[in-house]
Amino acid sequence: MRLPERQLAVLEAASATDERTIDDLAAATGHKPETVTGAAFDLRDEGLLAVSETTTEHAELTDEGRRYVADGLPETRLYRAALDAGAGDGPVPMGQVIGAADLAGHEVDVALANFPRKGFGAIDSGELSVDADADPEADPEATALAALAADDDADDPIDTDVLDRLASRGLVDLVERTTRAVTLTDAGVDALMEGVEAAETVGQVTPELLASGEWRDAEFTEYNVEADAPEVNGGRKHVLRGTADRVKDVLVGMGFQEMAGPHADSDFWINDCLFMPQDHPARTHWDRFALDVPPMADIPEALLERVEAAHREGVGPDGDGYHSPWSEEFAREIALRGHTTSLSMRYLSGYAGAELEPPQRYFSVEKVYRNDTLDPTHLLEFYQIEGWVMAEDLSVRDLMGTFEEFYRQFGITDIRFKPHYNPYTEPSFELFGEHPETGEEIEIGNSGVFREEVTKPLGVDCDVMAWGLALERLAMLTTGAEDIRDLHGTLADIDFLRNAEVSY
Amino acid sequence: MPVVDIDADELRELTGHADKDDAELKADLFGLGLEFEGETDDGDLQFEFAPDRLDRLSVEGVARSLRYHYGDARGVYVPETNDAEWTIEVDESVPEERPYVTGAVVRGVDLDDAALDSLIQLQEKLHATMGRGRAKGAIGIHDLAMVKGAPLQEGAEPSVTYRGVDPEGDTFVPLDSNDELTPAAVLEEHDTGRTYADLVASYDRYPAIYDELGLFSFPPVINGKRTEVTTGSRDLLVELTGTDQWTIDKMCTIVCYALSARGATIESVEIEYADGAAFPEEYGSALVRPNLETDTKSVTHDRIETLLGVDFEPEAVVDCFERSGLDASYTLGEDVTYEVEIPPYRVDVLHPLDLIDDVGRAYGFDRLEPRYPDVGTVGGRHERSRLEDAVRTSLVGLGFEDLLNFHMTSAPENYDRMRVEPGSDVVGGGDPVSITEPYSEDYTQLRTWALPSIVALLERNTHNAYPQDVAEVGFVAERDESENTNVAEHRSVAAAVARRDASYEAAKGRLQALCDDFGAELSTPRTEHPSFIGGRTAAVVIDGEPVGVIGEVHPAVLAEHDLEVPVAAFEFRLDALR
Repeated sequence: MRLPERQLAVLEAASATDERTIDDLAAATGHKPETVTGAAFDLRDEGLLAVSETTTEHAELTDEGRRYVADGLPETRLYRAALDAGAGDGPVPMGQVIGAADLAGHEVDVALANFPRKGFGAIDSGELSVDADADPEADPEATALAALAADDDADDPIDTDVLDRLASRGLVDLVERTTRAVTLTDAGVDALMEGVEAAETVGQVTPELLASGEWRDAEFTEYNVEADAPEVNGGRKHVLRGTADRVKDVLVGMGFQEMAGPHADSDFWINDCLFMPQDHPARTHWDRFALDVPPMADIPEALLERVEAAHREGVGPDGDGYHSPWSEEFAREIALRGHTTSLSMRYLSGYAGAELEPPQRYFSVEKVYRNDTLDPTHLLEFYQIEGWVMAEDLSVRDLMGTFEEFYRQFGITDIRFKPHYNPYTEPSFELFGEHPETGEEIEIGNSGVFREEVTKPLGVDCDVMAWGLALERLAMLTTGAEDIRDLHGTLADIDFLRNAEVSY
Repeated sequence: MPVVDIDADELRELTGHADKDDAELKADLFGLGLEFEGETDDGDLQFEFAPDRLDRLSVEGVARSLRYHYGDARGVYVPETNDAEWTIEVDESVPEERPYVTGAVVRGVDLDDAALDSLIQLQEKLHATMGRGRAKGAIGIHDLAMVKGAPLQEGAEPSVTYRGVDPEGDTFVPLDSNDELTPAAVLEEHDTGRTYADLVASYDRYPAIYDELGLFSFPPVINGKRTEVTTGSRDLLVELTGTDQWTIDKMCTIVCYALSARGATIESVEIEYADGAAFPEEYGSALVRPNLETDTKSVTHDRIETLLGVDFEPEAVVDCFERSGLDASYTLGEDVTYEVEIPPYRVDVLHPLDLIDDVGRAYGFDRLEPRYPDVGTVGGRHERSRLEDAVRTSLVGLGFEDLLNFHMTSAPENYDRMRVEPGSDVVGGGDPVSITEPYSEDYTQLRTWALPSIVALLERNTHNAYPQDVAEVGFVAERDESENTNVAEHRSVAAAVARRDASYEAAKGRLQALCDDFGAELSTPRTEHPSFIGGRTAAVVIDGEPVGVIGEVHPAVLAEHDLEVPVAAFEFRLDALR
């Protein structure tokens, strides 16, 4: 008979008459206890060994218990301090004694609860009196703790009531421990009598081993399959791209076409088309990244005139314009887009391609630029999800239904629509939803129906509803990132990117 | 967004709801769109709201909105106005940059400390919003008893004059000072003067308001001390100057409504623009102010129903209008149309759509049932977005960590630290697109190439384990006057292998695999590039077109970035793989 070396060692160390424990066998064979356990079970499966199990309850000190062994139980310390303060002669103020006993926090409660229970004395109206006859030295709980500390493995017969009491005080943990022992079976004895040889073991499968057929007689060395392997870092898609892809998938599934267009654009497309007055605070240099390039020469003349007229005079017989200055010069200036609504304007006007007839749905997940301070929740550049639906007679209810469906795809339900104001949409709503994990109410987007002052100059005669939201906000929810800079930019930590959970 | 500070006791008094506790008030205000933000040091409640309803910038306006919300008030309210006694004359010397003035007289005010604080707050908040930081409109409020406007001739009306004054041409004692100062000195020596100096510093003459005793107001900077409003003031002169007559008239209206809500009486003033002075053409040269006329717009029943997606009885619509502080009348017929009367303090109603929003708010948007629109469209990705994604997938398969770097950078990062000269004929050497007024010196231009971002990222990650094979498919831009935006925007594919054994071969092997994925033919003729080691640098030529560069990064660049491992890298235009 051939057996792997470790099984053979265990078999030879076992006895037919005496139970040998795993620890005994480990000592005898020089193998680790877990190796011996594995070999013992393998031998049992071969019918060569019998394995018995006995379970014993065992007490172990907790950190708190260990601390009291060193410092003394809080109630004992209180008793001694009270005696020192003269409580033997009459009640003393409790606060003073607690200070003298060096008790703090949780220990104060522990001391005050156990002091009267053990008959050390009484607490009344903030004063302590002691029973001078009490003997903390004879306290069975202290004695048991000391005994456990002296020998963690001691199976001293400590009174079970005392143990239970210590467990309920959180000073000891009661754990079950299983001890295994083996004896040789008759088959095992026979096998040893007939002689058992150790099988040869092979470290690695090699082409030679496979080609020669020697693998048939080989015994493979066992690995510690639970051990950590060397770290492997394959490439992976950026976690924020993963979220962006997911958003794109959802929107394409909902019938949206993707838009593309320039990052550097004229204020005309970025703001004027959106009916943002030229003296709006968001159009000042504080919020806007103006670029030092010449102004845009080519803007469709008729469109430019219609947009200017909307700003100055409003749209429709009852429309009013803004009482703000408007200059074509400003409209032609180039800046980094503060929102991707500039793309929506290019598409809705037909400038980006074909004239669009309703119905249409379009989206983009693209970068926008805001002149803000860089901090854990704000970036100078971030991704904006932008989407719109163009159709005849859209209502606020259609808007609500569309956005509910979109957010439901990300596990965000119970969307709330808070009436809001934007210069370019009316009615407008801020969208709030519940964080899927924390349950917190968070703002997750801004939406509305484009004003006629936006759509009419673009040549659109039906309704367009639109919404926007920062991709990073969605990603922070789905990845749990707390600092947006971990996700995005040259400050990113490669380790964070390698370890961030994949979103799908 | 604007924030209004509200003394809850005052709000209870002005709404007549003494029984409402703070929590109820907060909930009711949330329903109006005012979100509780916190408390001031004095215990006032602070609410943030969207900048459309600027009539809610003080406790009086918020109380008025709440009274409509509770149903305690309905329809349009316009305060009575008494006939004018006072005139504001506009002299032709008024600076042409700030030609317009308006105002009102308010009598019988009873200002306790809280009411005075509220008035000052309203004034400051209006300055910050409609007044665009006082540039477009600024309010001055004076104790009328201290203004001496007795007519020069018997029987004529009392008046004050809006005129221009030489910067050093006169003196007065401004608020918060005891010194007689010239307007020019105020701009230099007085705290408020310094704050607003930029608004008028370029004017030849400064705006000033005079009465019989002399200069008492230096708009938009500061009032004189003589006419300071105190809790003892009973009659007030309100004056506003600015660059747009409509804007200052509306600011004046909101102030008058707030004072009227506290029991004061509004009295008109006459504004007379002198011959030779610029006057607002749409209103003429002689005005009676404040202008508390209502406006009227019409909106159809059908549009209300389609936009809100709800069927209404006309009476229900009228009810919603009245609960919004509007009046509406209609005639029954085939097409029901509402004539809606709008009070003068509303500055946000530009179009009938804005009235439908009011109906929606009064009806309760939260009562609307969401529905998925029954509109069929076909979805799809943009071609470039699909290409970017496919290249990214190939790069990840080749073991690269996908990066996402900022598009904005600085000249030192983009050029100097990579040893590249701006305007040179190498990859990354394009002319920068610079930000005119950068917020931070780290972000002053768009990146002309992506490798600097990648090397900067490696610099940040020297504490992490190697190999670090990283790549990015991202945006780059350079100045190009042949483009309509004068900016040429491209997508660039950039990758770096940073490891003990990084070599030209390691980079080229991966580039070759990527090109093979896209059926593109790669050749790499020798070239020079300052970021790479001479003799180990090649041009990336795809399908015959030079589109990028590949090589071992120069030790000088590595040392500059504190990198102690070799780096081999390539960068080329994404479009080459199309």
